This record gives sequence, C-alpha cells and structure tokens, in this order.
Amino acid sequence: MTSKFGHLWILAAALFVQTSAAEAHIVAARLGDFYAGALHPLTDLRDIVLWTATGVLAGALGAPKGRWLIPVFPLGLLVGLSLGRIFGAASTQLADATMMLALGMLLAAAARIPTFLLCAIAFAIAVMRGAANGADLGPDTDRLLFAAGLACAGYGAITLTMALTTAFKRTKSDSSASWRTIAVRALGGWIASIGLMMAGLALAS
Amino acid sequence: MSWRILRALSTATAIFLLTQPALAHDQAGVPGGLLSGLLHPVTGVDHLIAMVAVGIWGAQLGPPAIWVLPITFPIVMAIGGVLGVLRIPLPMPEMVIAMSALVLGLAVASRLRLPFSAAAAIVGVFAVFHGHAHGAELPGSANPLAYGVGFVTATGLLHLCGIGIGSLTRWPAGERVIQALGAGIAGLGCYFLAQGLGAIA
Repeated sequence: MTSKFGHLWILAAALFVQTSAAEAHIVAARLGDFYAGALHPLTDLRDIVLWTATGVLAGALGAPKGRWLIPVFPLGLLVGLSLGRIFGAASTQLADATMMLALGMLLAAAARIPTFLLCAIAFAIAVMRGAANGADLGPDTDRLLFAAGLACAGYGAITLTMALTTAFKRTKSDSSASWRTIAVRALGGWIASIGLMMAGLALAS
Repeated sequence: MSWRILRALSTATAIFLLTQPALAHDQAGVPGGLLSGLLHPVTGVDHLIAMVAVGIWGAQLGPPAIWVLPITFPIVMAIGGVLGVLRIPLPMPEMVIAMSALVLGLAVASRLRLPFSAAAAIVGVFAVFHGHAHGAELPGSANPLAYGVGFVTATGLLHLCGIGIGSLTRWPAGERVIQALGAGIAGLGCYFLAQGLGAIA
C-alpha cells in the first residue's frame, strides 16, 4: 500500500515538473479570428437572450418545424455580418427589444405559427444580430474566419437549445396543463416582460 | 412525507434568514446589472412577501390560477416596469405595495376563493405597482438588460417558491402552516402600511 502511494507521489511529482506554460491566448493564434467570431455573441446579453428564445420557440413548435432553423439561422447571421459595414454601429436596441417581446409572447401564448413565419422571424433576428456582431470588427480581423466562427456558434446554439426544449417538452401526454408545457410558457412570459421593459427603455432614451 | 417536506422547508427558511449580504465588490456591467436585478425583489421585504403570497394564493386557488399566474404575472409587471422607466408616476406606490402584502396575506390566511377573473384583476393591479418600483431603478442600473433579466428571474423564482409552499395545502397540517404564514404576511403588510402612513418610524 505504502509502495503504491510512493509510486503515485513520484508520478505526480514527475508530471508536475514536466508541465510547461499553457498557450491559452487563442486570439494570438493562427485561427484566432474563428474563435473570436464564435465567442463574440457570448459577450452580449442581447445575443444570448434572443438566440435562446429563438431556439426555445423552435423546440416548442416541434422538430418538424424547428429543424428548418438549422440552416436558416446561421445563413441569416452571415447575411447580417456582410451588412454590418453598411449599417455600422446603428442602434438595434428597439428592434432587439421588439423581437424579445414577440418571441416571448409567442412562447407564452403557445402559438402554433406556420413554418415560414418561424423561419422569417429567425432570419430577421439572425440578420440583426449578425450585423451587430460585425459592426465593431477591426480592419485586421479576418472576416472569413470570423464569419465561420459566428455561423458555427449560431448553428450550435440553435440546434442545442431546440433539441433541449424538444426533449424537455416530450411527455406522454402533451397537454396544455402539463408542467413542462407551463414551464416553457412561463419562460416565454419572462422573455416577453424583459423585451417589454427594454422597449420602454429604448423609447425613453 | 409531509414532515420531511416541512423539515426541509423550515431548514431552507432558517438558512435564508441567517444569510448576510456579501459586500465584496461593487460590480459593473453585466454582472453588476444582473446582481442588482436579482437582489432588488429579494432585498425589499415588502416585494418579497407579496411575491411569495401571490404564489401561495395561486396554489390555493388551483387551476387555472396556478399556471396562468407564472405565465402572465411577469408580463403585467413589465407594463408597470415600462411606466417606471418612462417616469410616469403612479398614485401612492409605496402604500399600494404595502397594501398588496396586506391584501394577499389576508387572502392566503382566510383561504379566500374569488372567481378567477377577480383574483387576476387584484393581482394584476398589484403587479403593475411592483413592476413600477423595479422599473424606476432600471435606467440607472449598471446594465439595464442584465438588471431586467435579474429581476424578472428573481420574481419568477419567488412565485415558484410561493407555489411550492402552497403545495402544502394537500395536508391538513400544511394548510394551517400556510394560513399562519398568510397571517404573518398580512401583519408585515400592516407594519409597512403604518410606516408609509407615518404612524410608526
């Protein structure tokens, strides 16, 4: 037993001595702009709220309707990113808030909207947020890598949120009174109320 | 089973009451906004007890109140929040908030069973006033969106807490505990109302 511990200690000490500094700063690496594009949306709460709400709405409507967003949302982000230079740093505060309110109300009301309307809403949100993400790109940024990173993040976020919501809602009796359906609708109420207040703030400022 | 739940609830309440605020760093940006939003409904005792009472009353009333409440309350509260953001004054906001604790506490204590529309109207009016108080703080917060996310989440969780407490109505002893809690909330509401009227310091 003691010998075992002795060996473990020697192994741990050898591993500790062998360690070298971690090259953690990926921005300075060759593919840094890809990671910058993938991580940029995480730095803005508007992206987090809107992307999550879009994914939850798609999941709440079910996989047959929601799966269309898997190509539509990243495509919208790319279109928005390409328009980022044109729109510049135009404020999207009111538009973001209106979209939060609309998504939240649709979720809270458990509205069964048609697929084309879901795709249109998701595309509009993606274009808006893509443009916002691309507005503050520096001249040194590799736009292609940034766009690839942003599109991958959009694909991952929408697919995961939608899949989680679909799995969460999947019950034997998918009645309107099931607690899972109510939880998703309550989340919609929260999102709508945040959007409503942000719209008020945008109008006040 | 009921004793286990009661014991868990009393432990949770004791832990909650014994907590002290962590005065570590004055945070800015998203963390600061989120933290102030989360704490705003919790640190104001009048808000806290009224939100918990809304959840308990919803649970006492049963369906549809128990599920309509968590869906619609934040939206109605946000209407008040917008009025607060736009600096549109409401009459005697502090008094009405204190009164909300008194009325909702009495409703819980007396197991008041009103028609759903009447209960929704009462809760809706109080929601507007509570939202107004939160919304007035929004423009000056470190990050308004994070503040909004924080206070809506905190309010929703307080309702959930109230609904959880309200589920004790399944047991006769639990029903008595809830009625005593309602009386306590009403008593605190009386205290805040008297304070608002200047009767006590």
